Amino acid sequence: MKMYKYILESVNNINWMAIIPLVIFFVFFVLMFIHVIRTEKSHIEKMSKLPLTNDL
Amino acid sequence: MNQLNMSNIDHFKYDNSIVRKFAFATMIFGVVGMLVGLLIALQLIFPALNFDSPYTTFGRLRPLHTNAVIFAFVGNGIFMGVYYSLPRLLKTPMFSKLLSNIHFWGWQSIILAAAITLPLGFTSSHEYAELEWPIDIAIAIVWIIFGINMFGTILKRREKHLYVAIWFYIATWATVTILHIFNNLEVPVSLVKSYPVFAGVQDALVQWWYGHNAVAFFLTTPYLGLMYYFLPKAANRPVYSYRLSIIHFWALIFIYIWAGPHHLLYTSLPDWAQSLGMVFSLMLIAPSWGGMLNGLLTLRGAWDKVRTDPVLKFLVVAVTAYGMSTFEGPMMAIKSFNAITHYTDWTIAHVHVAALGWNGMLTFGVLYWLIPRLYGSKLYSVKLANIHFWLATLAILFYAIPLYWGGVTQQLMWKQFTPDGFLKYPNFLETVTQIIPMYSIRAFGGFMFFSGLFVMMYNLFKTMSKSSFISEEAASAPPLPKKYVSPKGGHWHRVLERKSILLTLLSVIAVSIGGLMEIVPMVWLDSNTPKISTVEPYTPLELEGRDLYIREGCVGCHSQMIRPFRSETVRYGEYSKSGEFIYDRPFLWGSKRTGPDLHRIGEKYSNSWHYNHMLDPQSMSPGSIMPAYAWMLYDDLDTTQIAEKIRVLQLLGTPYPTDFDKKALSNLKAQALEIADDLKSSGIEQERLEDKEIVALIAYLQRLGTDISKPSINK
Repeated sequence: MKMYKYILESVNNINWMAIIPLVIFFVFFVLMFIHVIRTEKSHIEKMSKLPLTNDL
Repeated sequence: MNQLNMSNIDHFKYDNSIVRKFAFATMIFGVVGMLVGLLIALQLIFPALNFDSPYTTFGRLRPLHTNAVIFAFVGNGIFMGVYYSLPRLLKTPMFSKLLSNIHFWGWQSIILAAAITLPLGFTSSHEYAELEWPIDIAIAIVWIIFGINMFGTILKRREKHLYVAIWFYIATWATVTILHIFNNLEVPVSLVKSYPVFAGVQDALVQWWYGHNAVAFFLTTPYLGLMYYFLPKAANRPVYSYRLSIIHFWALIFIYIWAGPHHLLYTSLPDWAQSLGMVFSLMLIAPSWGGMLNGLLTLRGAWDKVRTDPVLKFLVVAVTAYGMSTFEGPMMAIKSFNAITHYTDWTIAHVHVAALGWNGMLTFGVLYWLIPRLYGSKLYSVKLANIHFWLATLAILFYAIPLYWGGVTQQLMWKQFTPDGFLKYPNFLETVTQIIPMYSIRAFGGFMFFSGLFVMMYNLFKTMSKSSFISEEAASAPPLPKKYVSPKGGHWHRVLERKSILLTLLSVIAVSIGGLMEIVPMVWLDSNTPKISTVEPYTPLELEGRDLYIREGCVGCHSQMIRPFRSETVRYGEYSKSGEFIYDRPFLWGSKRTGPDLHRIGEKYSNSWHYNHMLDPQSMSPGSIMPAYAWMLYDDLDTTQIAEKIRVLQLLGTPYPTDFDKKALSNLKAQALEIADDLKSSGIEQERLEDKEIVALIAYLQRLGTDISKPSINK
């Protein structure tokens, strides 16, 4: 039972609304991933120790 | 360190008293929120515990429970963690002590206002955003004060780079601001009543975009920030993978915002939005589990500590519960699975694994770690903390398992047909009484969790009483160089870690894309929501009746959304269509069926049936767990605002005739008289029956879902 068929019929080619978010996210994720991998190790280590540097 | 450097060191003090204030508040409101939760759990077993008073019925107390736990218990827990970790990560005191205190007292006043107004029945009916408009404005002001204090601290920091916990705090602040504003766009009728600017399907989408992301950005991201700070602290080792935490952050905040429509599967929401919500919900498993594994793997090689340190025990169960509920959530977002779990107690079990497990256990872990440090002492009793740990952990199982069982049992009973094609359990009540034993075990689980809280409070107060509070903690750090020289080949993300405003902006963009892409088409679709020619605005009396339905919180137990399943159309009638809701401000689709769906209740029973049912539900449906609403039979309907209500609705686009506001009262009285006469003809003897609230409620219930079966009028 496609109860909302009649909504879609009144708006043509609405599927792009569901596709675009996936494309945006994919591009965003790939770029972020590449950059994270390329971050230098020394910096990563320094950052990860930040909570521990001012112990009581 | 040599002499030269020493002279360059700044000395300053961290304010512990604000941390302690929020810690006390989270404990106190933990007790309040869970006590109300326990009461409403018991009301489902013993309806007498509704005490026949409007102020203590399930419908009004349920939002009090959810608001108290989310915004008072967890909210104060967030602020406790932020006010402790933020200055220490940035090596600077908070920006302003005054703002910290305004934030604290402002937030507690809002909680007090909620605790007064919700039992009085002042509600906008949007789940987890029930508070009426003046309180919404107060929340916005206090939230902005918190923001100024947080960004002020960030701007005067002595540590150039922002640790990942702070990104989570920033994303929390920015997103909650956006969510709060958009979901509370409403036009006031009076100081305690307003109508939302969106109606029907649009209102539903905006509400669940909010509801879902309130879970994401109030219950999840700030607590992830706390996890990334307090877990390494408690284990005394850095987080397993800082790289993973960056991916976790960006993927999580980007994906979360899209997943809201999974709360509206099989409803009248357009198909594309439902599919989008489902796909993004499934994708959400990846970053959520990335975060969980990052937390658990931080303890690699330190599991022996988990055996002895209660703090780590609480944190491990919290992170594991986070993993379980973020796996379960996406599963529940799959349409075929959702068809089974939705509207049942499965949802209640799911949210409690998250609330008790993730938020509760993490809060307890942080409190056990923090309080001894604020007092420069050791925890009074590790043994008591361990008892609390086992009480709480077992309590979650006692709470959740019966509700999973009950949820599935009930849904299967709803869907079962006899070989002849009839519903096997046509009486909804049979499916309720069947699972009441499960409600009893759940209440026991809730009681266990609640008692654990007292074990903790006793332990922590003993810890506090044996030493004195360190209200200000001295610290020192070198100041930041005035001009930052970027190392050669510096990385883009290092720029983000330095520039908080840029980071905020990018977070806002990441979360806004999702919101805009979902909501703009829906608002734009307004003209495309198929109008059904026979669907008309509510009459003044029905409108008042609807507002009573909202006041009593009927939506807490009754949905108004019949899904397109045979089991539902046979039980309730024609499935619900989006065009039927265009005058519904707010929408009242509901999210749980403790009682049956009411969308097609109109004209199903006589007026006198409703009258007697409200007076004593058990007399009409023996064994019913619905509370009685006797006061609606005796209280006069307040009609003083009807003209203003009509004017506000006209302003929002409801097509009442011109000058209808002036005729509304006489129209209302005429319809009330008709219903009162009908009740009298059924043998109900009562003075001035036409002036009572019950008449308005009956008018509304009898109208529900009947418009589509009216003969269509050719214009």
